[in-house]
Amino acid sequence: MKGATMKPGIRLKPALLFALLAVSLSFQARAAGNVEAGKDVFATECAECHSVREGKNKKGPSMFAVVGRKAASIADATYSDPLKASGITWTPDRLDAYITAPKKLVPGGKMKYDGLASATERADLLAYLATLH
Amino acid sequence: MNPLKPGRRTRLSTLRRAGTCALAALGLFAAAPAAHAVPSFARQTGADCASCHVGAFGPQLTPYGIKFKLGGYTETDGKEGKVPLSAMIVGSYTQTKKNQAERPAENASVNKNLALDEVSLFLAGRLTEKIGAFIQATYDGVGRSSALDQVDIRAAHTLEIAGKETIVGLSLNNNPGVQDPFSTMPVWGFPYTSSALGFGLGGAGTMINGGLEQRVAGLSAYTFWNNLLYAELGTYRSLSPSMQSKLGAGRADDPGRLGGGTNYWRLAVFQDLKKQAFNVGMFGFNTTVQPDRNAPGSNKFNDLGVDASYQFLGTRKHVGTVNTSFIRERQTLNQLFDAGESANLKGRLNEFKLNASYHYDQTWGATIGRFLTTGTSDAIVYDGFAKGSPNSSGYIVQGDFTPWGKDASWGTPWANLRLGAQYTMYTKYNGAKTDYDGNGRNAKDNNTLFLFAWTSF
Ligand code: HEC
Repeated sequence: MKGATMKPGIRLKPALLFALLAVSLSFQARAAGNVEAGKDVFATECAECHSVREGKNKKGPSMFAVVGRKAASIADATYSDPLKASGITWTPDRLDAYITAPKKLVPGGKMKYDGLASATERADLLAYLATLH
Repeated sequence: MNPLKPGRRTRLSTLRRAGTCALAALGLFAAAPAAHAVPSFARQTGADCASCHVGAFGPQLTPYGIKFKLGGYTETDGKEGKVPLSAMIVGSYTQTKKNQAERPAENASVNKNLALDEVSLFLAGRLTEKIGAFIQATYDGVGRSSALDQVDIRAAHTLEIAGKETIVGLSLNNNPGVQDPFSTMPVWGFPYTSSALGFGLGGAGTMINGGLEQRVAGLSAYTFWNNLLYAELGTYRSLSPSMQSKLGAGRADDPGRLGGGTNYWRLAVFQDLKKQAFNVGMFGFNTTVQPDRNAPGSNKFNDLGVDASYQFLGTRKHVGTVNTSFIRERQTLNQLFDAGESANLKGRLNEFKLNASYHYDQTWGATIGRFLTTGTSDAIVYDGFAKGSPNSSGYIVQGDFTPWGKDASWGTPWANLRLGAQYTMYTKYNGAKTDYDGNGRNAKDNNTLFLFAWTSF
């Protein structure tokens, strides 16, 4: 990939760069938009009961590093028995199901939240939760 | 006794000197709501002040705060060993457009008063799993006395009715309306604090507007169904003069004995849509008051109110609220009329309030409010008012700054602070716009600038 290929490479560079830039910008824009929007969703829907700070529990446990965490695993948070017994690991998939309808995924759980109907808002929220470590 | 009761002492003493106790007997003093914000709630719940309060400082409640109160102040973050104690200090500067005719309090001057308005201790928080309390004891730096202030002790239980979560509870309290979770009734409405050395919202006020505060004990039962419907029914008894005296309110201003049929009721529809919330409701307070406990004869008061509020909450970056209430009081003054202390047997008094607020970043706030009191004139009851008319009206604007009280703020959950500047403009005061006192004083001469520093920990 040296010598001969250099020249066309150089010649292609502006166009390539532009294309790459465009792709990456649009990707970043979307990713950043998701996270930012997700942060807003969190502020509106979840923040009164959950903090994103490590070790900070409110009515509900901290959301710090929640993605991939085992359910009911924060030592000094109080959980309902059904959640403790659920055996759930908070993969994006499980989180999505929980946020859609908490009472459905964990019957008898004590998260008093009716669920977030909008799939876009849930996707944004999950993107944001994934950034918390 | 609530020290943040503008002009109470002044009016009371002037009226006493003017030779009538009618107003005092009626309890017809406009009261300003007390200042409340208690970090012990934040310590107990792990929530920041901003979770429960608009603008990160009490008392205006968010939907979450409303649920916390109705849940009996018992919610926690699950950790044991929280001490449900808080304290609060309010200091202020009051300046009126023209000097007052008399010193508004013994230790005050006729204008430009610096005051330590109030130092309060609270027992506020969860006592057991289902019982919580909000008990305030206040040292009034203006009147230089201490007394038991607002009390609201609650028991709440959650169950399911028709498949929906339902809270049922009891409140034991000492002021009709102090138990209410919405920010529209007189006890908790705007202005949330005001000068003890100013002119309040005028000289006349309805019974439910502080007419009996801290001089009665009431018990009410309430239910909150599906986060949607709120209903409450309760009754009140007067505290004996010696009890009032023991609790620090003194016996001199004893309103008298309340009739057995005294009742308080409240209905509201509430919707928490997360991005926004609203409630509309009605309330009533019906009582008879026998001013002289040793002589028969009583006066009847029927207060009926309608109220509504709207909150835009969004992401909590921009929060806007609108609150309104209208109270209509019907008075049947049998005792006063017979004693020649009122010119009319029947009278009316209406109070209207409308206010709107905007808070940026739960830190910077601006509120504008309108107040309007109107009623039947009575040259004896409202002696010293222009043409015996109780009418007062005006506007209040307030700007405030609350640096802390957010999730990651300095001091959370140990301290919070609000600095505010409030200006009250009177378009009518005690019956007239001009020369309301017969000495050439105009309503606008009472315009009041009130600067306050309100801190709690
Ligand atoms: C009214 C308070 C409240 C609201 C609002 C709320 N939660 Fe919860 N949440 C809780 C409580 C309480 C628990 C513990 C549930 C249990 O033990 O059954 C919980 C548990 C959780 C858990 C499990 C944590 C663990 O450690 O296992 C996740 C994940 C979660 N919430 C996410 C969210 C998200 C995301 C939102 C916003 C869309 C939200 N919650 C809104 C109160 C709330």
